[in-house]
Amino acid sequence: MKNIHGFITFKNVSLATCVVITLIALGSVNAKTPPTSAEMEDQKNMLMSAVKRGDDLWHTAKLGSNGLACGNCHPDGSATNPHTWPKYQSNLGKVGTLREMINWCIAVPLLGTPLASDSDDMIAMEAYVMYTHRGVAIAPAKYEQHGATPVVSGPGYPNANSGNR
Amino acid sequence: MRKLSRRDFLGMSLKSGAATMFAGIFAPTATSLMGLGGVAHASTKKITPFTFAVLTDAHLYDIPDHKFDAILEKSVADVNSLQPAPDFVLYGGDLGQSGKKEELIKGKRILDKLKMPYKIILGEHDYYLDMGKAWRALFGDEHWSFDHKGTHIIGMNSILVDDFWSMRNLTPLERMGYMEELECHQCGLWGVQEKQLDWLEKDVKKLNPDTPILIMTHSPLWDYYPRWNFQTVDAPEIRQILRKFEKVMAIHGHVHQVVYNSIGNISSAGLLSTSWPWPYPPVDLPYPNIRMNRADPGDFEDGLGSHSIDLASNFDGIVNYRAFSDLLPENVKRGIKL
Repeated sequence: MKNIHGFITFKNVSLATCVVITLIALGSVNAKTPPTSAEMEDQKNMLMSAVKRGDDLWHTAKLGSNGLACGNCHPDGSATNPHTWPKYQSNLGKVGTLREMINWCIAVPLLGTPLASDSDDMIAMEAYVMYTHRGVAIAPAKYEQHGATPVVSGPGYPNANSGNR
Repeated sequence: MRKLSRRDFLGMSLKSGAATMFAGIFAPTATSLMGLGGVAHASTKKITPFTFAVLTDAHLYDIPDHKFDAILEKSVADVNSLQPAPDFVLYGGDLGQSGKKEELIKGKRILDKLKMPYKIILGEHDYYLDMGKAWRALFGDEHWSFDHKGTHIIGMNSILVDDFWSMRNLTPLERMGYMEELECHQCGLWGVQEKQLDWLEKDVKKLNPDTPILIMTHSPLWDYYPRWNFQTVDAPEIRQILRKFEKVMAIHGHVHQVVYNSIGNISSAGLLSTSWPWPYPPVDLPYPNIRMNRADPGDFEDGLGSHSIDLASNFDGIVNYRAFSDLLPENVKRGIKL
């Protein structure tokens, strides 16, 4: 291998690259400190706020026009299998995303108006569904014959009380 | 004495500890603790064989020409077309979605098209707007029993929870909204509560142990998945009251799915809704081969259906799931033995 001047060997390039990367890495340690625990807490709270917003949207009839909510068929976000997207989905007739499937459900079973894909509401819906499945292994196109993958719930999602857990 | 014995029994069942939390291992543990000797025996007492039908969980909305109206109409027509005609129909609760009088009136108007008499119980969706007032005005008692061709048939209200609304100053509409959410985090576990346990105890007191018993509740009489109230909190007391009988068949709505369990002398079957199917919750099923396949959300009738139940002269029962789409694996298509 040659550089543009043609007189540096492969070995020298490797060595030079390592030195440069090391310098960059050292530089970045100095340039950006890790978030403090307070900052981490703020970030977590912002996520949980989106999850809560998504939870509320998931359980409201306002997204549709026939009284149904996503939660009618998908309690706790079950049977949404967010870990399997993107994949071919027969209802979409193509390889699609979780957001597209959410919009299909709003449009068809709920008879509602689809959300803009990058809207805060859609991101909140996705945050809710993903959060209920945290820890589940990513498995694109995996077919879940019985609909529900184990839903991760309970501790970690602060919801007032529960007699049910 | 009676209350003491119930408490004793409850203490005993609690000693089975974590076993009560998981469907898969509950049955054998409870059976051995209760000393029921394991496998239930079919009654040798002869009844006159008969067939009855079951519908449940229509979740009707107060919206004209709603798609669920058409599915309930279809299920009623399906039952009316059965040959031989069922002797009667049982309805397993959640006729309405939001407890509105209009929903229940619409449901009654459709159910009244059944050619045979029907008996109905409450679901939580029928109840928590007005605490059952409209439902009782239309359908009568919340619990009942009758005898038919040698079988004693019982219906009970299993969806009673302790007051979670007063301390939160919830309006009736808000209370109903909380209960409408399956995974309601504030509502607590539901059951039949003390008054109905007293009633049940009196109702079966004079019956001989060889009397075949059929009991219908909205929720299962076993601990399936409490987070979704796939349970009845005082089911252990109910099972204790009914343990003297040779054989008890239990059927329940609420789960919107095919599911089966057997505990001591009681076998239970969950039923299909006429609104939407529910996925299996993340616990092991006690009988994993008895379940339905995944429904297609693009087919609004998939996952839904009606049922006929055949009772033979020896009180063997077969639950026939009459799914409206191709939902059932072969073993379930042949019917489930109760």
